[in-house]
Parts: sequence; C-alpha cells; structure tokens
Amino acid sequence: MATVSELYDVTWEEMRDKLRKWREENYRNSEQIVDVGEELINEHASKLGDDVWIIYEQVMIAALDCSRDDLAWTCLQELKRQFPDSHRVKRLAGMRLEALERYEDANKLYDSILQDDATNTAARKRKIAILKAQGKNTEAIRELNEYLEQFVGDQEAWHELSELYINEHDYAKAAFCLEELMMTNPHNHLYCEQYAEVKYTQGGLDNLELSRKYFAQALKLNNRNMRALFGLYMSASHIAASPKVSAKVKKDNVKYAAWAGAQINRAYQLAGRGTKENKCSVKAVEEMLESMQITMS
Amino acid sequence: MAPELLLDSNIRLWVVLPIVFITFLVGVIRHYVSILLQSDKKLTLEQVSDSQVLIRSRILRENGKYIPKQSFLMRKFYFNNQEDGFFKKTKRKVVPPSPMTDPSMLTDMMKGNVTNVLPMILIGGWINWTFSGFVTTKVPFPLTLRFKPMLQQGIELLSLDASWVSSASWYFLNVFGLRSMYSLILGQDNGADQSRIMQEQMSGAAMAMPADTNKAFKAEWEALELTDHQWALESIEEELMSKELDLSGMFSRELPTGIF
Repeated sequence: MATVSELYDVTWEEMRDKLRKWREENYRNSEQIVDVGEELINEHASKLGDDVWIIYEQVMIAALDCSRDDLAWTCLQELKRQFPDSHRVKRLAGMRLEALERYEDANKLYDSILQDDATNTAARKRKIAILKAQGKNTEAIRELNEYLEQFVGDQEAWHELSELYINEHDYAKAAFCLEELMMTNPHNHLYCEQYAEVKYTQGGLDNLELSRKYFAQALKLNNRNMRALFGLYMSASHIAASPKVSAKVKKDNVKYAAWAGAQINRAYQLAGRGTKENKCSVKAVEEMLESMQITMS
Repeated sequence: MAPELLLDSNIRLWVVLPIVFITFLVGVIRHYVSILLQSDKKLTLEQVSDSQVLIRSRILRENGKYIPKQSFLMRKFYFNNQEDGFFKKTKRKVVPPSPMTDPSMLTDMMKGNVTNVLPMILIGGWINWTFSGFVTTKVPFPLTLRFKPMLQQGIELLSLDASWVSSASWYFLNVFGLRSMYSLILGQDNGADQSRIMQEQMSGAAMAMPADTNKAFKAEWEALELTDHQWALESIEEELMSKELDLSGMFSRELPTGIF
C-alpha cells in the first residue's frame, strides 16, 4: 500500500504541521489522523524530537476511534515508558479500557486518579462518558450536573449536558445550557441557531417569537447559515398562521417570512448558476416554500 | 575640578570585564536552579470552583444582553437573592497563610532566600576580597563624601573623589544593570531577575490572598445588583432585513480533496 507521503507527495514536516493543525482545531477525522500519524511514527519518530509524545497521544485517541487496537497499544506503551506516573497517560489507559468495553476496570482507574488529585477534570468527564456509553442517561445527567456545579466554566460540559437533555426531550433545561454557551461565546452563530431550534421545538407563541429572534441573530452573525434562514422562514410563517395573534404581529411576520423566502430563492439561484438542472431545483424550492406556507386567514 | 586619574588598562581587562562575566553567569545559574527547585502549586477544589463562579458572574454582567430577559433575571436571582443567593450565602473560611502555620510557604521562602540573597552576599564578599586595593571605575555623576566608605571599600585615600569606586560597587551595579540582558536571553519571566523578586517580596507582604474570596464575592454581588438587562435582540429583524444577505463565497467551485 502506498504511503501517505507518496500518495500526496508531501514531506514529513508538512505531515507534522497538518497533525498540529488538526490538534489545535479539534478535528475528529480519525482515519486520516491514523494514516498520517502512523507513518510519521514509524518512519520519522527520531526527527520529531519532543513533538513525538503529543503525536502519540493524538494518534492513540484516533486509533481507538478506528478500532486499531494494535496501534493504540503501541502508542500507550511508548507513553507509559516515557511518563510513568502521569495522570494524563493514565487517562489514556482508561480510554483504551473503555474501548474494550471493560467499564469496571476503567472506572477503577479513574477513581484512583481522582483520589490522587480531586481537581482532575479529565477523569471525571471520562466517568460520565462511561455512563453515557452504557446507556444510563439519567445517571449521566445527574453526574454531569454535579460536575458543572463545581466547574461552572467548562463549556464542553455545558454543550454535552444540553445534548443529553435534548435526547431526554427536556427542552427547557437544554435551553438553559445553551444560554450559558451563548453568553460565553456571543459571536458563535451555531449556538444561537441551536438555541432557536430548541425554542421552536418547545412551541408556544412566546417560544416561537424567541426562536425567530435567535434565528435572525444567527443569520446576522453569519449570513450564509442556510439552516437559520429556513428556521426564520418556518418560525415567522408559524406565528403568522397562529389564530391568537394581533393583526399587526401577523403583518410583520408575513413580511419576515416573505423576506426569508426571497433570500432562500436567491441562494438557490446562486447555487445552481450555469447548470441545466438549475431551473428544476429552483422550481422545486419555490413549490416547497409554497406548500410550507401555512394558510393564513 | 577633580583630578583626572589615568587607570591602568590592565584594570579594564582583568577586573571590569571578568566581574561582568561572573555576574552574568551567576545570574543564569540562579535562573536554572530556581526552575529546578520550583515546587508545584496545588490548588484545592474550592479555589478552582470559586474562581470559575466569579468568571461566570462576570460574563453574566457583560454578556447578559444576549440571552432573553427571563433567563437573565433567573440567573441574577440565583446569585443575589436576599436569603439564599449564592453570593449572600457562601462564606469561605479565611486563613491567612502565615509562614509559621503553612509549611509550604516556609519552604518557598527558604528557597527564595537561598537562590537569591545568599549567592549575592557570597559573591559580593569574594569579589571584594579578590579585587581589593585599587580603583575600578568612575561613576559619571558627582557624589558627596558620605558615599566614600560605602563605595570605596578597600581604598584608604582620604583625598580621592567619591566618584571613583571599588570593584564591589561595580559588582552591585552589574547585578541591577544586567536585568535587561537577562530578559533578552532568558525570556520575560526569569528567575535571575533579582530586583523584581525583591519588589514582589515587598508587595506580597502587603496582600493577603484568601481574604480576597469573600471580598471578591461581595464586589461581584454589588456589581450584579447594578446591572440591568438591555436585550440586544430587540429590533434584530429590522436590522437584519434592512439589506440583502451577503451570500458571496457560499458556492465556490473548488472543493478540498483529500488530506493535503
């Protein structure tokens, strides 16, 4: 099989820089990481210097994702040899046990880390992940709540909690978690959009209004968010179609929905410019918008 | 007008330059020794938790305008409620860390003394003993006679101008003067920077860290009481729909293929 460097004609420095980029931007493309990282470790380990340890960690986690137990084991051995008493390496050993579904052993390992250092967040989060993997959603939610009581600033944890609540259909609490995220990241359009979707799912006139506003905010932060555009259209049409609204509100929402519809059409025109299929898809979008338009009388 | 003395150029070669080198090397060694002797700071769970709560409250004040009014009020109530709001209810036990009761602080102080003060005294004394009996250099500004016994340690000349100093004073001049060299070579936060350490010691005695938590809570409570909710999304639709969406770059022809 051709190596990565042969296939793409890149040097080992470029491969190392690519791995660094993936690490810093939190990518989860495990198969690619395994391909690039494996070759880097096997062929060029000596040239990497001290970088090699963090690459071992990155490749090990990716290998666990791809079920490459052999590769994960080698990486773990190297790390254990270099850092015998490290909590970070112990956590990786625990993750390998989790991958093998030996949850009891993994739990024992994490408990030993926590006995040593009560502030170790990684071990606590892995324990919650074990509960989630075993399908014990309610316990996971409870543990995660306790964790967040002490570490209020952990954004990853807030997001995970919101996801768990959405799975349990507890939308009010999920909205609370997303509000925390929106406050700490006011310029992130994805949190606004997800919040708006949760509000839309909750239903009720107030929530629909809120969802419309937050879809608009997501659009303002990122003009190209198509999901938010469709969300804006849907929420505005829903409010306009509701029998309990005043005439002014209805008129406003009809205007908003019309604007959103026009933008959607424009986007689809732009998407298919120059192709023959364009006319068909644009017509399909128009028909879809018409059918979605709940009758307003 | 002070008589101009002409110093042997050997003095420059064998005294001035060696003292500079010695001071510099001692500083570098001190830096590495302080790194080796550094003890880990163990934070308690409570400290971590408290610092994060304070950050959350600050974020609520600054960015509260991005969440709906009801949510903002709910959080403000949680923090500031009269009976059981978090900032009202939580009192942390305050133990000022005096050197006697807290063993880790004692060892830290000892280490600080060993790495900084002791070498300075030792080397200063050695230089004084080695390079004694002659004039090393002249400071460029005139000094009064009061400075003579301090700066002219080994020289017993009554009529000599106080500007002419001995090697010990040249050593002390170097200790403070090479500070900027250390920042250049060892990076900003280096252990060889003595004057900075002395400054820290003097200001550190005035602050008492743990009492801060209770005071910090009180300060946050006050600040949060004063904050009002100005919803940023009041007229968001009008702002958004005032112009067409900017869809440029959305459908570019090039797709990234493969890894590189």
